Order: sequence, then C-alpha cells, then structure tokens
Amino acid sequence: MNTLPQQLANGLLLGSMYGLIAIGYTMVYGIVQLINFAHGEIFMTGAFGALTVYAYILPDGTSMVVAVPLMLIGGGIVSVLVAVGAERFAYRPLRQAPRLAPLITAIGLSLALQEVVRNFYPGADKDRSFPSLDGSHDIGSVTITDADIFLVVAAIVCMSGLAWFVRKSRTGRAMQATAQDPDTSQLMGIDTNRIIVIAFAIGGFFAAVAAVSYGLKYGNIGYRMGFLMGLKAFTAAVMGGIGNIYGAMLGGVVLGVAETLASAYINHIPGMQQLGGSGWANVWAFCLLILVLLFRPQGLLGERVADRA
Amino acid sequence: MRFGGLTAVRSVDFTVNAGEIVGLIGPNGAGKTTFFNCLTGLYVPTEGTVSYQGTVLPPKPHLVTKAGIARTFQNIRLFANMTVLENVLVGRHTRTKEGLWSALLRGPGFKRAEKASEERAMELLEFIGLAHKRDHLARNLPYGEQRKLEIARALASEPGLLLLDEPTAGMNPQETRATEELVFAIRDKGIAVLVIEHDMRFIFNLCDRVAVLVQGEKLVEGTSDVVQADERVVAAYLGEPFEPTPEDTQPAAEAESTTSTKGEAQ
Repeated sequence: MNTLPQQLANGLLLGSMYGLIAIGYTMVYGIVQLINFAHGEIFMTGAFGALTVYAYILPDGTSMVVAVPLMLIGGGIVSVLVAVGAERFAYRPLRQAPRLAPLITAIGLSLALQEVVRNFYPGADKDRSFPSLDGSHDIGSVTITDADIFLVVAAIVCMSGLAWFVRKSRTGRAMQATAQDPDTSQLMGIDTNRIIVIAFAIGGFFAAVAAVSYGLKYGNIGYRMGFLMGLKAFTAAVMGGIGNIYGAMLGGVVLGVAETLASAYINHIPGMQQLGGSGWANVWAFCLLILVLLFRPQGLLGERVADRA
Repeated sequence: MRFGGLTAVRSVDFTVNAGEIVGLIGPNGAGKTTFFNCLTGLYVPTEGTVSYQGTVLPPKPHLVTKAGIARTFQNIRLFANMTVLENVLVGRHTRTKEGLWSALLRGPGFKRAEKASEERAMELLEFIGLAHKRDHLARNLPYGEQRKLEIARALASEPGLLLLDEPTAGMNPQETRATEELVFAIRDKGIAVLVIEHDMRFIFNLCDRVAVLVQGEKLVEGTSDVVQADERVVAAYLGEPFEPTPEDTQPAAEAESTTSTKGEAQ
C-alpha cells in the first residue's frame, strides 16, 4: 500500500502546528529583535488553560462542539496574559540592556513557567489527559481525525487573518513601521510599546491555538511539552527567515513534512536501516536546518524584509 | 540638555508663530539637532519644558506628534521597504482611529475611514508631486524625491508646527529651489515651519526670522538682515563676511560632518 499521501498529510499537519507557534517567535523578533525562548512555555500554559476550562469549569459531558471554542478562549486568555505579562515585567525593563540580558531572562522565564505549572497545577507532575477529538475520516488512502481538521482550519484562518491584518490594517502598518525603525515610528505618532504588546499578544494567541490542537490530537499534555515544540517552532522560524511571518509558516510546513518523511522512509535507503523511525526525527529536522542555513543564511524567505512584522 | 558632563543645549528660548518660517543656524555641533530631538521628545531635557499652543508637552515622541509637531530627519529615515503611499499612511497614524475589533471585523466604518485616509494621503502626494509613484518602494526613489516624501510623511500627521532638519542637504541648486517653493507652499497652508539648514542663501531667502545657535546657546535672533550684519555671528559661524557666491558648494560637505558631531554629543 502506498503510504506517501498519508505521510505527507501527517507532515503538513505537524508543520501547521510548528508554523502557528513559529509566528510568535518571528513577530517578536521582527519588532524587538528578541528571541523569546519562553514562547514554548506560553504554548504549554495555553494547553493548561484550555484543560482548566474543560476539566474544572465546564460541566461533565459537555459536547465537544461547545467545549472546543470555549477551550480555545480559555487557552487564549491564559497564553496572551502570560505573553503580555512576560513582555511587561520581564522584557520591557531590559529593553535598553545588552542583548544577552533579555536572552538569559527568557531562558529563566521558560524554566520558571515549567516549574510553576508542574508544582501548582493539580496532577501536572505527570502528563495529564486532554479531551481528544478522534472521530476519523478516510479520504482516499489518507485517514485524518477531527482534531486534524480543527488544526488545518484553525491554521488557515489564523494565518490568512494575520496576513491581512499586517498588510492592510492601520495597526498592521504601524507594526511594519515599528519593525523597520522604532524611533521614527514613534515620531509618526505610533505608540511603539503598544505595538510590541500587540505582537506578543498575537504570538500568544496563536500558540494557544496550536496548544489546543496539540491536546485534541495527542490526547495528553504535560509541563514539558513546550520545550521540544518550542525548539522546533523556533527552528521553523529561523529556517523560513526569522522576522517574516510567511517564512514562519513555510518553515513550519517544510520542517514538518521533512521530519515525517525522513522518519518514514529513510530506513528504506540501503545502508541507513538504523536511521529511520521517529527516534531519529529530530536529528533529521536539525540536519535540515543546518543545510538551509548553510546555503541561505537569511532563511528561505529571509530577503523579504518588507514583511517582517 | 546635558549628556554626562557635556551641556549640548543650554537655555534656548524659542517661539515660532503660526504661518511663520523660522531658520535655525549654527556651526556644526552647536546643538541644532539636539534641540530638535528635545522638542520632539526623543531626548528628555535635563531642565526646562517644551510647550505647544500653551500646553506643556510630555517627552514621549508619539504624544508630541499627536499634539501637532512633525519633523523630518537630517539623514533620510523613510520606511525604505514600504511603498510611497504606505509611508504617508503611517504618517497619518495619529489622525486615524481604528479599534482592534472594527479592524478584525472590517465593518463599513473601517472601510470608510481607510478610504478617507487614503484620499488624504493621495492629496499630499499630489501636493509634493509624487502621486504617480504611489506604489513604488521608498528605497527605489531618487534622493531628492525621498526628501520630498519625508516632508509629505511629516505633513500627513496634520501638524501645526513642522520641523525640517537640513531639508536640502545633498541637493543640487535646482532641487534646493524646488524645496524652497515647497516650504513656502507649506507656510501658506498656515503651518509654522522651523528649519535647520547650512545653505545660507536658502535660509535667508526663506525665513522670516533666523536664530543662531552657538555652542548650545542662542546668540542672536532676528530678521535675515539683522543676523547677517551681526559681527558675533559672522565671527562664530561664517568666519568671514557672508557673500552669497562660492559658498553654495559647501553645505554638502558640512552636512556630512554633522553626523560625527552628533556622535560626540551622545
């Protein structure tokens, strides 16, 4: 049986999730040149926010059609609050500091958020189960679940909404302006602090959307889920050209597809039998990053500085 | 305004009235640009205040712009990767309103506001003669047009006071004359203009009043004749009596060296 269509679909789905998270890295970097290493944890807190809504706020047996949007809202609120709070209390005081200071702060914040969730969220020291959407559909030789459909729809809506927002709206234009030259933007009457907060908030919300998709797809979440997903999404952002929102999405999809195909097929190549399987997926993902950066150090779409925002 | 032990601008009192063009001249490092930066809130003055139409301005650039002061820069600072029209639209930021929700939902009010804003921006582009290049990227414009576009972008915030920092630096005589006419046209719109310039002919043709800044202090202020006749100005700034003949070639060279002066001030 030909498994290629199924593997491609899996890759695209994983890639959309990376892409949604990568937006957060790339928008923040585009505007304040900060790599927000705590973004993976913003993703993780979004998942726990959504779980809180499902497990503690909604009555048992609520239909998933009602529950999912509410979980999205709950996760979104938590992620946005964490992201905006991090900006306000951790990064803004360091805006004029040497570049290393906010970087170290981000790593510290990432660990702190993990520990806070592990210690204070009930039962979070082990993985917690998350309501999953596992009704499945067969389209030709490809099987996808309801969670996959949710992920694809959410990713398309979010990305096209963001693309429109940045290109056409007044605030989006102000974001592009701030990314290009913050001082001049201020003199054009743009409140750059507000723009920075908006960038963090959008990144946080997208992370929450990815987090809810993750939970619905895999059925469990844990306080360490943000680490690897964050790292992969960061890789996607760099690969696509950090600072470029289209690059983040493209990088995510390329990374997801490459990783899935590599772990599925590389062991068919004679002499590489031991290198297949999901255990090697991360190796291939980062090999791909190194290759891309060797030949295009600015990332796949890195030259389009016009769209950094 | 002090930077560590260095006082860059000291007790400069200055008034510009509506419909008036005032020139600010002075040797390199006199503090002209620093003075502009204080006015626009980029620097917080160590002492003193900036008031506009009777209200004291907070030292926040975006609020200064909102209050009605706009500026251009000594070295061009356009948004190079945006189109000509987008640059002007960014300039209109404070004069347009848009709630997050109306933008997301794209209601009819949003579209109307967006359209009105675009029309206003196009009027400005016609005013400076760049309407036909609305969709060009700013970085692809020739130098003189980039300078004009900066002025249009500043005008887009509908200012009452326009600050021009060396608007003719690097221009040829023809472009300088065109800029002169542009500044007169702006004045005729009832906007007060304060201009820093090294091109003396330009300044004395243009300005109703001229102030001379030397080492951070105001030396004299008055009409062109008064300033030109003042011996202290001649001594401090021109070095020799002003003759409007061969010095026309100097401004470009001087404009370059002011950049290093700015570095020293910081």
